Amino acid sequence: MTSIGTGYDLSNSVFSPDGRNFQVEYAVKAVENGGTAVGIRCKDGIVLALEKLVTSKLLKPGANKRIATVDRNIGVVSSGLLPDGRHFVSRARDEAAQWRQLYKAPIPTSALANRMGSYVQAYTLYSSVRPFGVTAIIGGWDSEAELPVDGQVGSGPKVGAGGKKDGAKHSGPSLYMIEPSGLYWGYYGAATGKGRQIAKSELEKLNLADGQLSLEEGVKEAARIIYVAHDDNKDKEFELELTWISSLDGPTKGRHEEVPKELKEEAERLAKKALEGEDDDEEEEKMEE
Amino acid sequence: MFRNNYDNDSGRIFQVEYAQEAVKQGSVVVGVVSKTHAVLAAIKRNAEELSSYQKKIIPIDSHYGIALAGLASDARVLSNFMKQQSLASRLTYDRAIPLSEITLRIADRAQTNTQQYGKRPYGVGLLIAGVDAKGPHLFEFQPSGVTQEMIACGIGARSQMARTYLERHLDEFANSGREELIKHALRALKESLSQDKELTVDNTSVGIGGISENFTLFEGQDLAEWLDATFENREAQDEGGEAMETDS
Amino acid sequence: MNHFPQAWGRPRDDVYGSYDHSHFQTNGPNQHTQSPIVTGTSVVAAKFKDGVVIAADNLASYGSLARFTDVKRLRKFNDQVVVGFGGDVSDMQYLDRLLLSLDIRENYSSTENPLNAKNLHTYLAKVMYKRRSDFNPLWNHLLIAGLDGEDKPFLASADLLGTTFSSPTLATGFGGHLAQPILRKLLPDEASVERVSEEQAVEVVKECMKVLFYRDARSMDKYSIAVIKKDGVELKEDEKLENQSWAFAERIRGYGTQTA
Repeated sequence: MTSIGTGYDLSNSVFSPDGRNFQVEYAVKAVENGGTAVGIRCKDGIVLALEKLVTSKLLKPGANKRIATVDRNIGVVSSGLLPDGRHFVSRARDEAAQWRQLYKAPIPTSALANRMGSYVQAYTLYSSVRPFGVTAIIGGWDSEAELPVDGQVGSGPKVGAGGKKDGAKHSGPSLYMIEPSGLYWGYYGAATGKGRQIAKSELEKLNLADGQLSLEEGVKEAARIIYVAHDDNKDKEFELELTWISSLDGPTKGRHEEVPKELKEEAERLAKKALEGEDDDEEEEKMEE
Repeated sequence: MFRNNYDNDSGRIFQVEYAQEAVKQGSVVVGVVSKTHAVLAAIKRNAEELSSYQKKIIPIDSHYGIALAGLASDARVLSNFMKQQSLASRLTYDRAIPLSEITLRIADRAQTNTQQYGKRPYGVGLLIAGVDAKGPHLFEFQPSGVTQEMIACGIGARSQMARTYLERHLDEFANSGREELIKHALRALKESLSQDKELTVDNTSVGIGGISENFTLFEGQDLAEWLDATFENREAQDEGGEAMETDS
Repeated sequence: MNHFPQAWGRPRDDVYGSYDHSHFQTNGPNQHTQSPIVTGTSVVAAKFKDGVVIAADNLASYGSLARFTDVKRLRKFNDQVVVGFGGDVSDMQYLDRLLLSLDIRENYSSTENPLNAKNLHTYLAKVMYKRRSDFNPLWNHLLIAGLDGEDKPFLASADLLGTTFSSPTLATGFGGHLAQPILRKLLPDEASVERVSEEQAVEVVKECMKVLFYRDARSMDKYSIAVIKKDGVELKEDEKLENQSWAFAERIRGYGTQTA
């Protein structure tokens, strides 16, 4: 890159003459080397999946979970610098806790994405910090039922709306992806990390915007996409991490949880089978973004 | 100039990588876990013949301890923090702090040191080993703030040799008894020693924690029996080792 | 009117006397809660051989007014512990939110052991003691019921002074006077816990709730009761006192207008 040697890339919060912030761009590079992370917004929930590259045989298998829970109903998966990812998560948890203190209710996923976007953006503004080396996918289920106010002990007045807006609904699954610049968008399906290009083209094939994909199908697709994205890189071994969030009447009761062992194994089995059946020739056309 | 910046278009942060080098300057430490025990073993260095040896294993709470490689003073800062947090857990919840949790707490501190002005990454790597409500654990901590739960691990100078040993015997650890596990740790440690050096009661440290066994540090004559038992027929042992190497 | 601007617009000293400057004083003593406002009365609990029973009625009183009649004073924590609250209801709600935030924090990782009743009691006792040491107590008396680290029944209390106490049977407020003697007949000591079945414990606690309703003017006949065992918590929040008999009232002498 032409930036090296010009000095404009040495400090954060400095624009180069052609209007770029190189520190942010370098942070993006850190992300691009990380394991692939995928999020899918299904009609009745969210699936998050992560390709965890096994860097050493000495690692304890199945430990070192990296998809994190925020509050109870939100999951965060990130790709890039691991410690930055944890910093991101711990801030997200603080935001969610702070929101609860103020509003006595769980934070809507959209509000969390907004706050985290602002937080990450702040790390591009000052020379005293460096931008986050992660792209994070935030998925959450906002309760479809009217939740009690935190600390509520009785049912309140039997008549009137009790200050609540009648019929207002802001519930369901939502998915966001936040980049090192602080930029974020809502997604039907999001992917980041090394295998993001392939993952994205696979996600596009699912027609997620139609809102037809069920959660369980989503789990299987997510597993398959991670396997496909990995296969293409011909990397070393990896572990698949899978979490999901369903509606209140679904399998996770609105909480962010690990996908149960049986379903995960089933999804992995199908993913491997799909890979074997697939021919290499159809890979080429998917490469462009 | 702010040093914790990305250094080129690969997204690397050199300051962090240099800090990792400091870990490699430290003498080697290894850790192994079985289903019942967690063992740390370390080589101690002395600055000169007449000086004392640098402390390598620090018991933190009754259920766990750490082994360090790198800047000992950074390890002291971290270990003081860990002691304080561990006591706080016992005081407020009457609970031995889970090892994963204490590891994450120092990891978060380390991460801050890589992202902010006026700070530098810690120049020390740690192995955190012991037993909590979920059984024995071993965690590795790096200056970057990366922490990983391991079955076995070695860090510090020439630790690759120790890791090779550990990888070879990986399947044996889980069902090893206490004494067996100690032997594995000592043998792994020995691998990383340069040819002319030996494990002695003076330069070796061993820390052991187990289910219903508090984490204890063993040094000096307490080690004599283990060292004798582990390296009793050193000649045969060496040949065995070489044979294996030609195999692979 | 005079030539001192600072006196303009102020009551005249010659008419009203000189101004009392102590009203300006802002550094007087700080005062926190001096008494509870909306209150819940007794909480009753007893151990049995494989768990603990705990009960409290559903009333929140405003002084002597029975103000709220659907207040749940038994709060579940992570499906293994129940905390019963006596005393100020808003302080109880504060503590409930505190426990909620603790529970959320504890459940970020699904792999760690959850806090048991003993852990929670230690924590709450610390909270209560800290607040009383700040001269700003949480006006409650708590009973924490569940199992300890060895899966043995655990029951302990913490109050607004930060005092802690543990016993096979416990009761707060009026229950301390009226229920404890009844409970202790069944469970005189720790050794007796082993001999008491769940049914017996539930029965004696229900009996206590009834006696408390007879005698405690700040109580009501709707209550919550929870049984905590190894396999979880069974919490019922809308129970009604059964088989009441007010026949004893006839024999009471010495109250109100009745003198003989």
